[in-house]
Amino acid sequence: MKDENQLLNVSNLQTHFFTENGTVPSVDGVSFQVNKGELVAIVGESGSGKSVTSLSIMGLVEDPGKIVGGDIMFEDKNLATYTNKQMRKIRGNDIAMIFQEPLTSLNPVFTIGNQLREAILQHQNVDKATAKKMSIDMLTQVGIPRADKVYNSFPHSLSGGMRQRVMIAMSLSCNPKLLIADEPTTALDVTIQAQILELMKDLVKKMDTAIILITHDLGVVAELVDRVIVMYAGQVVEQSDVFTLFKDPKHPYTKGLLDSTPKIQDLNEELISIKGTVPTPANMPEGCRFHPRCPHAMDHCISHEPQLETMENGREVRCWLFDEEVMEHERQKSGNEGTPQK
Amino acid sequence: MKRFLIQRLLQLIPVLIIMTFIVFSLVYVAGDPVALMLPEEASPEDVARVQESLGLNEPFYVQYGIFLTNAVQGDFGQSYRYNQDAMSIVLERVPATMELAIASMIFATIIAIPMGIWSATRRNTFIDLFITGSSVLGKAMPNFWLGIMFILILAVNTQIFPVSGRGTFMHVVLPAITLGTAVAAEMTRLTRSNMIEILQQDYVRTAKAKGVSNGIVTYKHSFRNALIPVVTIMALQTSTLVGGAIVTEQVFAWPGIGQLLVQAVNARDMAIVQAAVFLIALLVIFINFIADVLYRLLDPRIKY
Repeated sequence: MKDENQLLNVSNLQTHFFTENGTVPSVDGVSFQVNKGELVAIVGESGSGKSVTSLSIMGLVEDPGKIVGGDIMFEDKNLATYTNKQMRKIRGNDIAMIFQEPLTSLNPVFTIGNQLREAILQHQNVDKATAKKMSIDMLTQVGIPRADKVYNSFPHSLSGGMRQRVMIAMSLSCNPKLLIADEPTTALDVTIQAQILELMKDLVKKMDTAIILITHDLGVVAELVDRVIVMYAGQVVEQSDVFTLFKDPKHPYTKGLLDSTPKIQDLNEELISIKGTVPTPANMPEGCRFHPRCPHAMDHCISHEPQLETMENGREVRCWLFDEEVMEHERQKSGNEGTPQK
Repeated sequence: MKRFLIQRLLQLIPVLIIMTFIVFSLVYVAGDPVALMLPEEASPEDVARVQESLGLNEPFYVQYGIFLTNAVQGDFGQSYRYNQDAMSIVLERVPATMELAIASMIFATIIAIPMGIWSATRRNTFIDLFITGSSVLGKAMPNFWLGIMFILILAVNTQIFPVSGRGTFMHVVLPAITLGTAVAAEMTRLTRSNMIEILQQDYVRTAKAKGVSNGIVTYKHSFRNALIPVVTIMALQTSTLVGGAIVTEQVFAWPGIGQLLVQAVNARDMAIVQAAVFLIALLVIFINFIADVLYRLLDPRIKY
């Protein structure tokens, strides 16, 4: 399904970590696409593989991790096969990244200006004076007052929100086609979160940059993106546009995630949570990976692993509940045994 | 920066006063020098006369006051062995000690920093194991043994280097390596462990995400941060070296402060001991002051 508009096509990506205690498949057959200028979120709990997916795209998976299979097609280049040296031309230039911790993501011993212009000097053929002008201009664009003063200051003199603005300025300074934002607002307080999201949204719209937003915060998702990819235990379990997903989640895990988000209208209700935790890759359950925590688990789920199936409007779900054949079989079985499924 | 420098210099004054107090007290409790200066058959009247002439019958605080007044002027009295001003004898030895200290620090730094970085960036490889292993060995070898081995192999048998003494560049090579080996071993390990820690920092990942070269990631973003604790060790080690590399100076007959100090202690030449200890302490304070200034230059977060 290659089309003109497509920017990134990850197919069957497998990133494994080869630890002393055996191989850990953190990302296990992940596939998704991102179009030019599209805002996509990857949602999931800690340990679902969303961060490793993004680091794989950047080619920044650290030892003992390694991409062992699949393709990462960025425009017409397969980044999965790129060497570190080749990736350096892509990183910071075509694909940029913002990290979760603005407080520790900037080098404490260099000025903001030094770190900002570094990316520009690396990828664009300009002299130092021009790079400085571009950096200050970028700082102004991300809403930093007295940008020329901030240019010469050190990270420790800025607040968390300001530092994240600097990170955004840095990542967008080379006009990337894709921006990966790994929990960019998690470490910030709520009022600053909204400002940062608004800023990112404005800037990427203006620059026509696509975003992959990695988050576990569905509030952030609703605010920013067009399309959502839900990951669970190293796999994509559901993929849908944001409105459909919130209105009609299909996968039981997605439902669980949405139910566990506090809603302002029912303040008295106890917050629902998904029982259990994400399985560690070392003891991954047989069959569907979600079945031990799934309220709708059937016998079939315990032994058979579901595939990601395309449904109407291009949305995808990995769940047996939406397989007609399996459901028919289950209905007959429960009819015979007289024990109806929940 | 100017204010910081003045502040630091002012802070040195109480340190210096405490130091002179300790130097003086040590010698005061070490015993009566008059007993050594006079022949055994001297009458008690003679002893008392000499004590009075030297001001030794005054109370402790008065003696300390006199000592302090003289020390401020660089006067630590006469060495009875040399019959010369003690400070000037000690000062004659300073260039030799500094030469050896600086040469061995240069040797240690040139070896240790690249080795530490190399081993950290190739963690758990053969190179890393080799470097870590060598540094344990380097730290474990006693330097009198190492010095003698160097003399035997490189000076006596092959005659590449002179056996002992001070003079040409060739003279300083063996003692500097002897002294510098343990320092290099310690610095290598410290550089390695710091680099390993820094390489996992978020800002190193940020630098990589910018697409800059491995060299910039390692040497600019990581090493600059790893250097701060390394400077501490460098300052501490230089202090030790300045304090007199006593054993090495003996082995190589190096005419430094260490050698002088040992001889002076053996001969109870207290004027020299006081002058030498005072000067060494002064040098150590000065080195630490330089280290403080370096921290400030290396890490903009440091405020005093």
